[in-house]
Amino acid sequence: MKIVESQAALLSNYEVYQHLVDQQKRNKAQGRRVPGNLATLMTEVITYLREKPGPLEKQEETHAYTPEAFPRLLEKLREANLSSELAKGEVLSIMNLRPSSSALLSTAIEDMEERFSDEEQQKIVDIIAEVLGRNEPAADMEDDADAVPSVENGA
Amino acid sequence: MFLLTKISDLVQIKPEDFNKQSCIAIEDNINAKYANKVVQKIGLCICLWDILWTSEGLIGHGTGLVNVNVEFRMVVFRPFKDEVMIARIVSQTQEGINLATDFFHDIFVPYTELPDNTEFEPAEGLWVWKEDDQVMYYDNNEMVRVQVIAEEWHDQTPNGPPKDASEEPISRVRPPYQITGSMKGPGLGCYLWWEE
Repeated sequence: MKIVESQAALLSNYEVYQHLVDQQKRNKAQGRRVPGNLATLMTEVITYLREKPGPLEKQEETHAYTPEAFPRLLEKLREANLSSELAKGEVLSIMNLRPSSSALLSTAIEDMEERFSDEEQQKIVDIIAEVLGRNEPAADMEDDADAVPSVENGA
Repeated sequence: MFLLTKISDLVQIKPEDFNKQSCIAIEDNINAKYANKVVQKIGLCICLWDILWTSEGLIGHGTGLVNVNVEFRMVVFRPFKDEVMIARIVSQTQEGINLATDFFHDIFVPYTELPDNTEFEPAEGLWVWKEDDQVMYYDNNEMVRVQVIAEEWHDQTPNGPPKDASEEPISRVRPPYQITGSMKGPGLGCYLWWEE
Protein backbone atom coordinates (compact mmCIF):
# COMPACT_ATOMS: atom_id res chain seq x y z
CA MET A 1 0.00 0.00 0.00
CA LYS A 2 1.27 3.43 -0.88
CA ILE A 3 -0.50 6.69 -0.09
CA VAL A 4 -0.24 8.78 -3.25
CA GLU A 5 -2.07 11.80 -1.93
CA SER A 6 -3.40 11.84 1.62
CA GLN A 7 -5.95 14.59 1.04
CA ALA A 8 -6.86 14.64 -2.63
CA ALA A 9 -10.19 16.39 -2.06
CA LEU A 10 -12.69 17.29 0.63
CA LEU A 11 -16.13 15.72 0.48
CA SER A 12 -19.32 17.14 1.87
CA ASN A 13 -21.52 14.88 3.97
CA TYR A 14 -24.11 15.01 1.23
CA GLU A 15 -21.71 13.63 -1.36
CA VAL A 16 -20.73 10.76 0.92
CA TYR A 17 -24.37 10.09 1.74
CA GLN A 18 -25.40 10.04 -1.92
CA HIS A 19 -22.46 7.81 -2.86
CA LEU A 20 -23.40 5.27 -0.20
CA VAL A 21 -27.12 5.33 -0.99
CA ASP A 22 -26.38 4.92 -4.72
CA GLN A 23 -24.08 1.99 -3.98
CA GLN A 24 -26.66 0.28 -1.81
CA LYS A 25 -29.26 0.67 -4.55
CA ARG A 26 -26.87 -0.66 -7.18
CA ASN A 27 -25.88 -3.64 -5.04
CA LYS A 28 -29.50 -4.48 -4.45
CA ALA A 29 -30.42 -4.15 -8.13
CA GLN A 30 -27.53 -6.36 -9.23
CA GLY A 31 -27.97 -8.79 -6.35
CA ARG A 32 -24.38 -8.22 -5.30
CA ARG A 33 -23.02 -9.26 -1.95
CA VAL A 34 -20.43 -6.84 -0.64
CA PRO A 35 -17.81 -7.70 2.00
CA GLY A 36 -19.35 -7.83 5.47
CA ASN A 37 -17.25 -5.05 6.97
CA LEU A 38 -18.39 -2.70 4.21
CA ALA A 39 -22.08 -3.61 4.50
CA THR A 40 -22.06 -2.86 8.24
CA LEU A 41 -20.16 0.38 7.88
CA MET A 42 -22.35 1.66 5.06
CA THR A 43 -25.48 1.16 7.15
CA GLU A 44 -23.85 2.88 10.13
CA VAL A 45 -22.67 5.90 8.17
CA ILE A 46 -26.04 6.34 6.46
CA THR A 47 -27.82 6.07 9.84
CA TYR A 48 -25.49 8.67 11.29
CA LEU A 49 -25.96 11.12 8.42
CA ARG A 50 -29.76 10.77 8.66
CA GLU A 51 -29.78 11.53 12.36
CA LYS A 52 -31.31 14.64 13.87
CA PRO A 53 -30.15 17.44 13.89
CA GLY A 54 -28.22 16.65 10.70
CA PRO A 55 -29.61 18.38 7.60
CA LEU A 56 -29.93 15.12 5.65
CA GLU A 57 -32.52 13.73 8.05
CA LYS A 58 -35.39 14.11 5.59
CA GLN A 59 -33.32 14.17 2.41
CA GLU A 60 -35.29 11.31 0.83
CA GLU A 61 -38.54 13.29 1.14
CA THR A 62 -37.41 16.87 0.60
CA HIS A 63 -34.39 16.45 -1.70
CA ALA A 64 -33.19 19.77 -0.30
CA TYR A 65 -29.61 18.87 -1.17
CA THR A 66 -28.75 18.51 -4.84
CA PRO A 67 -25.47 18.73 -6.75
CA GLU A 68 -26.65 22.12 -8.06
CA ALA A 69 -27.30 23.50 -4.58
CA PHE A 70 -23.61 24.02 -3.80
CA PRO A 71 -22.66 26.27 -6.71
CA ARG A 72 -25.90 28.18 -6.09
CA LEU A 73 -24.99 28.67 -2.43
CA LEU A 74 -21.55 29.97 -3.39
CA GLU A 75 -23.02 32.32 -5.95
CA LYS A 76 -25.55 33.74 -3.49
CA LEU A 77 -22.86 34.25 -0.87
CA ARG A 78 -20.73 36.09 -3.44
CA GLU A 79 -23.65 38.29 -4.44
CA ALA A 80 -24.26 39.16 -0.80
CA ASN A 81 -21.04 41.24 -0.80
CA LEU A 82 -19.85 40.13 2.60
CA SER A 83 -17.17 42.21 4.30
CA SER A 84 -14.94 39.17 4.71
CA GLU A 85 -14.51 36.16 2.47
CA LEU A 86 -15.52 32.71 3.68
CA ALA A 87 -12.80 30.06 3.65
CA LYS A 88 -13.31 26.75 1.88
CA GLY A 89 -13.61 24.85 5.15
CA GLU A 90 -16.22 27.30 6.39
CA VAL A 91 -18.41 26.86 3.33
CA LEU A 92 -18.05 23.09 3.71
CA SER A 93 -19.13 23.34 7.35
CA ILE A 94 -22.12 25.44 6.32
CA MET A 95 -23.16 22.72 3.89
CA ASN A 96 -22.68 19.97 6.45
CA LEU A 97 -24.35 21.69 9.40
CA ARG A 98 -26.87 23.99 7.74
CA PRO A 99 -26.89 26.51 10.61
CA SER A 100 -30.30 28.05 11.19
CA SER A 101 -29.35 30.88 13.59
CA SER A 102 -26.36 33.16 14.22
CA ALA A 103 -25.32 31.18 17.29
CA LEU A 104 -25.15 28.03 15.20
CA LEU A 105 -23.52 29.88 12.33
CA SER A 106 -20.62 30.66 14.64
CA THR A 107 -19.85 26.93 14.78
CA ALA A 108 -19.15 27.01 11.04
CA ILE A 109 -17.38 30.37 10.80
CA GLU A 110 -14.26 31.28 12.72
CA ASP A 111 -14.19 34.61 14.61
CA MET A 112 -17.63 35.36 13.22
CA GLU A 113 -18.41 38.25 15.58
CA GLU A 114 -15.35 40.20 14.46
CA ARG A 115 -15.70 39.48 10.76
CA PHE A 116 -19.39 39.95 10.14
CA SER A 117 -21.96 42.42 11.38
CA ASP A 118 -25.28 41.23 12.81
CA GLU A 119 -27.07 42.07 9.55
CA GLU A 120 -24.55 40.09 7.56
CA GLN A 121 -24.89 37.11 9.86
CA GLN A 122 -28.65 37.19 9.40
CA LYS A 123 -28.16 37.50 5.65
CA ILE A 124 -25.97 34.37 5.57
CA VAL A 125 -28.52 32.46 7.65
CA ASP A 126 -31.27 33.54 5.25
CA ILE A 127 -29.25 32.45 2.21
CA ILE A 128 -28.62 29.05 3.79
CA ALA A 129 -32.32 28.58 4.52
CA GLU A 130 -33.23 29.67 1.00
CA VAL A 131 -30.80 27.35 -0.82
CA LEU A 132 -30.52 24.36 1.50
CA GLY A 133 -33.87 24.54 3.26
CA ARG A 134 -34.44 24.33 6.99
CA ASN A 135 -35.37 21.73 9.56
CA GLU A 136 -39.11 22.33 9.67
CA PRO A 137 -41.06 21.36 6.57
CA ALA A 138 -40.60 24.63 4.73
CA ALA A 139 -43.39 25.96 2.56
CA ASP A 140 -41.03 27.65 0.12
CA MET A 141 -39.46 24.44 -1.14
CA GLU A 142 -37.19 24.82 -4.14
CA ASP A 143 -38.63 23.56 -7.40
CA ASP A 144 -35.86 21.00 -7.84
CA ALA A 145 -37.66 18.30 -5.89
CA ASP A 146 -37.89 16.11 -8.99
CA ALA A 147 -34.22 16.32 -9.89
CA VAL A 148 -32.47 13.02 -9.31
CA PRO A 149 -29.17 13.86 -7.69
CA SER A 150 -26.09 12.07 -8.85
CA VAL A 151 -22.64 12.49 -7.50
CA GLU A 152 -19.96 13.73 -9.82
CA ASN A 153 -16.48 14.69 -8.70
CA GLY A 154 -15.32 15.47 -5.20
CA ALA A 155 -15.73 19.08 -4.19
CA MET B 1 -15.57 15.35 7.99
CA PHE B 2 -14.88 13.21 4.99
CA LEU B 3 -12.18 13.46 2.38
CA LEU B 4 -10.70 11.51 -0.49
CA THR B 5 -7.32 9.84 -0.24
CA LYS B 6 -5.49 8.58 -3.29
CA ILE B 7 -3.88 5.19 -2.68
CA SER B 8 -1.97 2.80 -4.88
CA ASP B 9 -1.92 -0.85 -3.89
CA LEU B 10 -1.45 -4.35 -5.21
CA VAL B 11 -4.74 -6.22 -5.49
CA GLN B 12 -4.65 -10.02 -5.60
CA ILE B 13 -7.69 -11.67 -7.09
CA LYS B 14 -8.32 -15.23 -6.04
CA PRO B 15 -9.35 -17.85 -8.62
CA GLU B 16 -12.74 -18.24 -6.93
CA ASP B 17 -13.47 -14.62 -7.85
CA PHE B 18 -12.70 -15.11 -11.54
CA ASN B 19 -16.39 -15.37 -12.34
CA LYS B 20 -16.79 -11.76 -11.25
CA GLN B 21 -16.12 -8.91 -13.66
CA SER B 22 -12.60 -7.60 -13.08
CA CYS B 23 -13.70 -4.20 -11.86
CA ILE B 24 -16.15 -5.74 -9.41
CA ALA B 25 -13.55 -8.18 -8.13
CA ILE B 26 -11.09 -5.31 -7.62
CA GLU B 27 -13.71 -3.18 -5.88
CA ASP B 28 -14.72 -5.97 -3.48
CA ASN B 29 -11.10 -6.75 -2.79
CA ILE B 30 -10.27 -3.15 -1.91
CA ASN B 31 -13.38 -2.68 0.22
CA ALA B 32 -12.73 -5.92 2.12
CA LYS B 33 -9.21 -4.74 2.89
CA TYR B 34 -9.90 -1.12 3.80
CA ALA B 35 -13.52 -0.50 4.85
CA ASN B 36 -13.87 0.22 8.58
CA LYS B 37 -10.11 0.20 9.13
CA VAL B 38 -7.97 3.03 10.44
CA VAL B 39 -4.85 3.88 8.46
CA GLN B 40 -2.40 5.74 10.69
CA LYS B 41 -2.28 9.49 10.03
CA ILE B 42 -4.86 9.09 7.27
CA GLY B 43 -8.15 8.33 9.01
CA LEU B 44 -10.94 5.78 9.13
CA CYS B 45 -11.50 4.31 5.66
CA ILE B 46 -15.15 4.17 4.63
CA CYS B 47 -15.36 2.80 1.10
CA LEU B 48 -13.97 2.96 -2.39
CA TRP B 49 -14.86 6.16 -4.26
CA ASP B 50 -13.47 5.35 -7.70
CA ILE B 51 -10.74 3.43 -9.48
CA LEU B 52 -8.31 5.70 -11.33
CA TRP B 53 -5.97 3.25 -13.03
CA THR B 54 -5.20 -0.46 -13.14
CA SER B 55 -2.33 -2.44 -14.61
CA GLU B 56 -2.68 -5.67 -16.58
CA GLY B 57 -3.37 -8.72 -14.42
CA LEU B 58 -0.30 -10.90 -13.93
CA ILE B 59 -0.21 -14.43 -12.58
CA GLY B 60 2.83 -15.22 -10.49
CA HIS B 61 4.58 -18.59 -10.19
CA GLY B 62 3.17 -21.08 -7.78
CA THR B 63 -0.20 -19.46 -7.10
CA GLY B 64 -3.29 -18.86 -9.17
CA LEU B 65 -3.63 -15.31 -7.92
CA VAL B 66 -4.01 -12.53 -10.45
CA ASN B 67 -1.91 -9.53 -9.38
CA VAL B 68 -3.14 -6.11 -10.40
CA ASN B 69 -1.65 -2.75 -9.47
CA VAL B 70 -4.48 -0.35 -8.80
CA GLU B 71 -4.63 3.35 -8.10
CA PHE B 72 -7.88 4.41 -6.48
CA ARG B 73 -9.55 7.00 -4.29
CA MET B 74 -10.95 6.11 -0.90
CA VAL B 75 -13.57 7.93 1.16
CA VAL B 76 -11.96 8.58 4.53
CA PHE B 77 -13.40 9.91 7.78
CA ARG B 78 -11.09 12.52 9.22
CA PRO B 79 -12.62 15.75 10.51
CA PHE B 80 -10.28 18.73 10.23
CA LYS B 81 -9.15 20.79 13.19
CA ASP B 82 -11.86 23.15 14.51
CA GLU B 83 -14.54 21.39 12.47
CA VAL B 84 -17.86 21.03 14.25
CA MET B 85 -19.63 17.70 13.97
CA ILE B 86 -22.61 15.94 15.46
CA ALA B 87 -22.16 13.07 17.91
CA ARG B 88 -23.98 11.21 20.66
CA ILE B 89 -23.15 11.14 24.37
CA VAL B 90 -22.23 7.59 25.32
CA SER B 91 -20.91 7.76 28.86
CA GLN B 92 -19.55 10.23 31.37
CA THR B 93 -16.90 10.15 34.04
CA GLN B 94 -15.24 12.70 36.25
CA GLU B 95 -12.61 13.16 33.55
CA GLY B 96 -15.11 14.20 30.92
CA ILE B 97 -17.64 12.96 28.39
CA ASN B 98 -17.27 10.13 25.88
CA LEU B 99 -18.98 10.68 22.56
CA ALA B 100 -19.56 8.45 19.55
CA THR B 101 -21.11 8.45 16.13
CA ASP B 102 -22.75 5.32 14.74
CA PHE B 103 -19.55 4.31 12.98
CA PHE B 104 -16.81 5.89 15.11
CA HIS B 105 -16.56 5.51 18.87
CA ASP B 106 -13.46 7.30 20.07
CA ILE B 107 -14.34 10.93 20.73
CA PHE B 108 -13.56 12.36 24.14
CA VAL B 109 -14.35 15.76 25.63
CA PRO B 110 -12.22 16.48 28.72
CA TYR B 111 -13.93 18.42 31.53
CA THR B 112 -11.68 21.39 30.80
CA GLU B 113 -13.45 21.74 27.45
CA LEU B 114 -16.92 21.99 28.96
CA PRO B 115 -18.39 25.44 29.64
CA ASP B 116 -17.48 27.19 32.88
CA ASN B 117 -19.95 26.47 35.72
CA THR B 118 -20.21 22.86 34.62
CA GLU B 119 -20.17 20.36 37.45
CA PHE B 120 -20.13 16.59 37.71
CA GLU B 121 -22.95 15.06 39.71
CA PRO B 122 -21.57 11.80 41.05
CA ALA B 123 -24.99 10.57 42.20
CA GLU B 124 -26.35 10.57 38.66
CA GLY B 125 -23.05 10.25 36.85
CA LEU B 126 -23.85 13.23 34.69
CA TRP B 127 -22.31 16.58 33.91
CA VAL B 128 -24.50 19.57 34.56
CA TRP B 129 -24.20 23.07 33.17
CA LYS B 130 -25.53 25.72 35.57
CA GLU B 131 -25.97 28.95 33.69
CA ASP B 132 -27.70 31.78 35.58
CA ASP B 133 -30.51 29.92 37.31
CA GLN B 134 -30.95 27.39 34.53
CA VAL B 135 -29.74 23.83 35.03
CA MET B 136 -28.93 21.85 31.92
CA TYR B 137 -27.99 18.19 31.92
CA TYR B 138 -25.69 16.37 29.53
CA ASP B 139 -27.94 13.32 29.29
CA ASN B 140 -26.61 10.10 27.86
CA ASN B 141 -27.78 9.37 24.31
CA GLU B 142 -28.37 13.06 23.70
CA MET B 143 -27.08 14.40 20.36
CA VAL B 144 -24.47 17.13 20.70
CA ARG B 145 -22.40 19.40 18.51
CA VAL B 146 -18.71 19.05 19.23
CA GLN B 147 -15.69 20.88 17.89
CA VAL B 148 -12.61 18.86 17.01
CA ILE B 149 -9.53 20.26 18.75
CA ALA B 150 -6.97 17.46 18.54
CA GLU B 151 -6.38 13.96 17.23
CA GLU B 152 -4.23 11.14 18.54
CA TRP B 153 -2.87 8.15 16.70
CA HIS B 154 -1.82 4.90 18.30
CA ASP B 155 -0.20 2.31 16.12
CA GLN B 156 -1.69 -1.10 16.82
CA THR B 157 1.48 -3.10 16.31
CA PRO B 158 1.49 -6.04 18.72
CA ASN B 159 3.81 -5.94 21.71
CA GLY B 160 6.52 -8.56 21.72
CA PRO B 161 6.41 -11.38 24.28
CA PRO B 162 7.41 -10.22 27.78
CA LYS B 163 11.15 -10.59 28.32
CA ASP B 164 10.67 -11.67 31.87
CA ALA B 165 8.08 -14.36 32.59
CA SER B 166 6.93 -12.49 35.69
CA GLU B 167 6.33 -9.29 33.71
CA GLU B 168 2.68 -8.43 33.24
CA PRO B 169 1.72 -8.03 29.60
CA ILE B 170 0.44 -4.56 28.81
CA SER B 171 -3.30 -4.98 28.55
CA ARG B 172 -4.49 -1.43 28.03
CA VAL B 173 -5.77 -1.14 24.49
CA ARG B 174 -5.64 2.33 23.07
CA PRO B 175 -7.83 3.24 20.12
CA PRO B 176 -5.95 3.59 16.82
CA TYR B 177 -7.48 6.99 16.17
CA GLN B 178 -8.91 9.20 18.87
CA ILE B 179 -10.46 12.62 18.59
CA THR B 180 -10.44 15.17 21.39
CA GLY B 181 -13.33 17.59 21.24
CA SER B 182 -14.60 20.74 22.87
CA MET B 183 -18.14 21.74 23.82
CA LYS B 184 -17.25 25.21 25.06
CA GLY B 185 -18.69 27.97 22.94
CA PRO B 186 -21.87 29.16 21.28
CA GLY B 187 -23.81 26.50 19.39
CA LEU B 188 -21.90 23.63 20.98
CA GLY B 189 -23.24 21.04 23.40
CA CYS B 190 -26.68 19.44 23.28
CA TYR B 191 -28.39 20.55 20.09
CA LEU B 192 -31.76 20.94 21.86
CA TRP B 193 -30.37 23.90 23.81
CA TRP B 194 -29.93 25.83 20.59
CA GLU B 195 -33.25 25.13 18.90
CA GLU B 196 -35.38 28.21 18.51
